[in-house]
Amino acid sequence: MLDLVEPKDAVRSDVTRRAGLSACVAAGLALLALGVPAVFAPPVSAQDTGPIKIGLAITQTGPFSPPASYELRGYELAVDQINKSGGLLGRQLQIVKYDDQGNPATAVQLYQKLLTDDRVDLLLSPYQTDLVGAVAPVVNRAKKVMPSLAANVEHFEGKYPYLIQSMTQTSRYMAPIIDLAAAKGYKTIAILVQNTQFPQQLAQGIEEKAKEKGLTVVFKETYAPTTTDFSALVLKASEAKPDVIIGATYLADAQGIVRAAKSQNVQAKMFAFSIGPVEPEFYKGLGTAAETVFGTTLYFKTLKTKGNVEFVAAFREKYNLDPTYHAAVAYASMKVFGDVIKKVGSLDQDKIRAEFVKTAEETVVGHYELDQNGKQLGYGSYALQWLNGQQELVWPKADATTDPVLPHPGWK
Amino acid sequence: MLTTVATLVILGLIWGGVYLLMAEGLNLIYGVMKVVNLAHGDFIVFGGLLALTLFETFGVSPAVSFPIAGLLIFAFGALVQFGVIERIGLGRPDAELRTLLATFGLSYVVANTSFLLWGSQFQSIPFLQGSIQLGTIAIPEALLMCSAIAFAIAIVVHIWLTHTMLGKSVRAVAQSGLGAASCGLDIVWLRILAFALGSAMAGSAGALLIALIPFQTASGSELTVQAFTLIALGGLGNYGGAFLAAELLGLVEVFTQYLYGSNAASALIYLVFIGVLVCRPQGLLGRVGRV
Repeated sequence: MLDLVEPKDAVRSDVTRRAGLSACVAAGLALLALGVPAVFAPPVSAQDTGPIKIGLAITQTGPFSPPASYELRGYELAVDQINKSGGLLGRQLQIVKYDDQGNPATAVQLYQKLLTDDRVDLLLSPYQTDLVGAVAPVVNRAKKVMPSLAANVEHFEGKYPYLIQSMTQTSRYMAPIIDLAAAKGYKTIAILVQNTQFPQQLAQGIEEKAKEKGLTVVFKETYAPTTTDFSALVLKASEAKPDVIIGATYLADAQGIVRAAKSQNVQAKMFAFSIGPVEPEFYKGLGTAAETVFGTTLYFKTLKTKGNVEFVAAFREKYNLDPTYHAAVAYASMKVFGDVIKKVGSLDQDKIRAEFVKTAEETVVGHYELDQNGKQLGYGSYALQWLNGQQELVWPKADATTDPVLPHPGWK
Repeated sequence: MLTTVATLVILGLIWGGVYLLMAEGLNLIYGVMKVVNLAHGDFIVFGGLLALTLFETFGVSPAVSFPIAGLLIFAFGALVQFGVIERIGLGRPDAELRTLLATFGLSYVVANTSFLLWGSQFQSIPFLQGSIQLGTIAIPEALLMCSAIAFAIAIVVHIWLTHTMLGKSVRAVAQSGLGAASCGLDIVWLRILAFALGSAMAGSAGALLIALIPFQTASGSELTVQAFTLIALGGLGNYGGAFLAAELLGLVEVFTQYLYGSNAASALIYLVFIGVLVCRPQGLLGRVGRV
């Protein structure tokens, strides 16, 4: 058995309990509204005979739904494949899914419902660090293992032992960029950081990696997420004359920085951004200004990882789309989950959790391995570059589809 | 050093123009109707995304598509005024609250329509990304164009409101609907015209802005707040005031960003706003009690 650490903060657990209670009341009222018989339906004990129920809430509508829908597709493809090959423990898998609309409070209610009402056997995670963080106390209290698609590490440092990180750690996202810069002999970096949680953790990772590789951070500044005008910021960064300008960004700010750098003709040997260049809209919005700009991704369809060719083919066949990194991490997460359960031979959550942290498995995303707290140690990241209107994987060299173009040729 | 300061001044002034462009439609509608159009930002986004589609399917640049977006949203604005705002009791004492609620609802309708049509990703158009060199100072082309158009619109609207019969009629409706009606003006028609014009200005602003600032369908409310801050700072409905406020905000933002960092810039803008409102609650050029 595991030595479980419950949140010690009495006030906090009281608050979550009350939130849980109100969620139950809300769920009850919703059921009443739907029709009373549902409440009095006899509790079916599906144990050992019927399908294994896998529950999740994920964002299917609203502004955050596009990446989340890719995750859902990845999950569903993996479940399909597991079912076709005979299911798990001789039983088929059945997904019970709800739409959290990107709202953390809704997600909490839905996970309560999955646990108390649908009585699912297994849980999968919602999309995004914030929502994983919101449902974490509920899931952990129910002692259900949840392989989670969240990059920030704070949920996987012992507070919620039943959460398993099935995604690359935030701090590692930019590692291949720094690695490449160091390999080219670049010495100085300027970092522009959006003042929100994820980019802050990215920046921390960039600084640590830079130190390790002997690069000096000559400029670092944060900006508010609402910033639209980056001209003064890039002018200031360029005065430090950095070899590399890195943005710990999302899409809109990455585009804003490129526009400002181009119009102010700011020169550096390398321009790289975390989230932004990985999206096709980055090039669509910037056109040729996006050429030779670097980005990162956690997965690329040309990777020579185990089972990737088959995964890409199956994904295209089922959805008529190319898989994104969101689809791939979700697919891999469910696949590893299935393999772990097969090894355990039962749905005993403590045994599954113990097996998870021992697992070392090759997935379509890469090597999957956890530390004792469930933090992801195996997964890394890859450097992309926009070349002739295409995303090319350029680093690490072993996985590259082509050589990186460096230094940045200047803005045309 | 001198070059840097000069660059910052120019950038601040032309960013001011961009902010003005964002706020002009809202200012017109408030100025002549006392209606705060909470769907203003969503009109901007809709116009921008329309320009995106025109760009992607027909290769039409925003310079061509901005009047098209303007016309389409002109028609939509007219429909909204005729079909919604005219029907909710403009003459009643709680008219302002009613129009606020109606336009708030409208913002959801427009934002979700955009979402269904274009999805939620940030979108932008590669257009005029170069810059004009003035000695050692680089002036971004897209910024310059947005500013120039913003100033042109400001001047044209001002002349229209003060020097033409139609513009004067619109102002008459603003001052007293009853009075204007008793002079024989068709006040319903004039209000429809004003709302449609304001909407069109938002739509065409969007078509230009999307080349400068990436939009997402959810960006509308943020744009509305920015635009509203600006016109409140200038004096609600006052065109000269909005111009002054826009330039002030542009300069404050660029200089603070350079000197104290971007986080300070976003705080300082609102400090300036609070400061002005404390000293002059009617805004920079607003007059107390003036419609």
